[in-house]
Amino acid sequence: MTAITGPAHSAGVIGSLAARGMVRIIRRPSLIIPTIVMPVFFLVAFTGSFSGITNIEGYGTDNVFNWMTPYAVLQGVSFAGVGAAGMTGEDIENGFFDRLLLTPGPKLPLMLGAIGYAMIRALIPTTLVLITALVVGGADLNGGALGVLILYVGALGTAAGFACLGLLAIYRLQSMRALLAIQVPIFALTFLSIGQVPLDFQTGWLRRASELNPITPILEMLRQGFLDGVTWESTWPGLVAIAALITVFGVPAWFQLRRMAP
Amino acid sequence: MTATAAAADQRSRLRSALDQAAALSLRSIRTSFRNPVSFVPGLVFPLMLAAVYSAQFQRALGLPGFPEVDSFLDFILPASILQAVAFGATAAGADMALDMENGFFDRLLTSPVSRPSILSARLAGSAVEAAIKFVIILGIFLLFGASVKSSVPGVLVILVVSVLLAMAIGGVSLVLALRTGSQEAVNASFPLVFSVLFVSSAFFPTELMEGWYQTIAENNPITWIIDPVRRLVIEGWSWSDSLSAIGLTFAFAVATISWATFALRRRLATL
Repeated sequence: MTAITGPAHSAGVIGSLAARGMVRIIRRPSLIIPTIVMPVFFLVAFTGSFSGITNIEGYGTDNVFNWMTPYAVLQGVSFAGVGAAGMTGEDIENGFFDRLLLTPGPKLPLMLGAIGYAMIRALIPTTLVLITALVVGGADLNGGALGVLILYVGALGTAAGFACLGLLAIYRLQSMRALLAIQVPIFALTFLSIGQVPLDFQTGWLRRASELNPITPILEMLRQGFLDGVTWESTWPGLVAIAALITVFGVPAWFQLRRMAP
Repeated sequence: MTATAAAADQRSRLRSALDQAAALSLRSIRTSFRNPVSFVPGLVFPLMLAAVYSAQFQRALGLPGFPEVDSFLDFILPASILQAVAFGATAAGADMALDMENGFFDRLLTSPVSRPSILSARLAGSAVEAAIKFVIILGIFLLFGASVKSSVPGVLVILVVSVLLAMAIGGVSLVLALRTGSQEAVNASFPLVFSVLFVSSAFFPTELMEGWYQTIAENNPITWIIDPVRRLVIEGWSWSDSLSAIGLTFAFAVATISWATFALRRRLATL
């Protein structure tokens, strides 16, 4: 018999919850379609609408796909984070989460399962956007396999960070209304950054916000594989920013979950 | 029945239909404002996008092919207004679908309420919401230094275009509601509205786009509406721009409202 406090039991709970989340989006077209369509649409729309900005001196690349691909990945990943909160919110509203809380064993795997779901779900937009950028946009992969690896590590890490933010809100509000509440900070974090143009192009308040935004170093980390190649100098600030996102949102979410447990 | 009595009866019916439409319109408007979650994001998102784009695309104003404007804020003003209006307009269908889901629509149909007022009330709600959003967004833009070169006549034209566009998109959302009876299905049309708006000249000039994307954007009806409205903002008054913007949105509104009326008749026929 497996001990209900052992690492094997915890890993089982995390895996089951993550798998349950994936089954949930596959069975519901209203969830899977935005997961697939929206990130690719963002890539096509941003590159199509703003292709002219590569003509401005100092943009950093002459192929707009090199700049916008990591940004579209990040947009897709943000939906994954919201999805983790959405799954937990539904479970809270229909009472399933109460039953989970009543089960014996540690409660942390319940949170890690939702985060795991967000990370697995983030693989879908990341892969689709990457394929579209390479096939349709002819994006350069100057960073090679290491650049792709960094893209996936960054995307999955950011998905975990956004999932922690979503879970903090959903544990706190215990209602699907939290989904609306988290869209504002996620929108602000992704938009007030170097997503579409470099820092030098930005003026005033936006530049200041981008400099302070943890998403900026994450984008620099994801983007390096498409620009000049991977360097440690462009990688470690992104990793630190991801760790900070997970810590800042994950720790309070964990405390909130512990309060919910009977 | 004498001719005079028949005319009086017809007048009384018309007055009754107008009273019903007014009451249902008021209900529709109240629903919008009692639920800020559905109203506020449609206002905040375009404003935020305008603020970000103005701060990051200022250098693009010098690109060959970019229209001569004082600031990116002037360039994006029409897009922000129409974006806010378009996002709110789908609420007409979503609210009607909610009425269907909770049974209010069936109760309306069993009452002697005039059928056209069921649609016109929802569209009136969208129109009023569009006008209010127009005033708020224009006010904020003016506060931050934007200007409308065509002055008051141009502002009035943009107001009319906004209201007509809200009714046009509202018409499409009503069709979806009448066909599906599902709020989720109507709300799923939101990304479509966003896509149509994005693949147009709303946020960047089509002259600076390339390939198939440029072709789609140039042939997008939203571009045909936004371009003349933008010229009213950045160049000045023009009868041809005013008439083409109003004419296009009017034609669009007539088409979608007729479609919604047809959808309502079909739904009533199946009951």
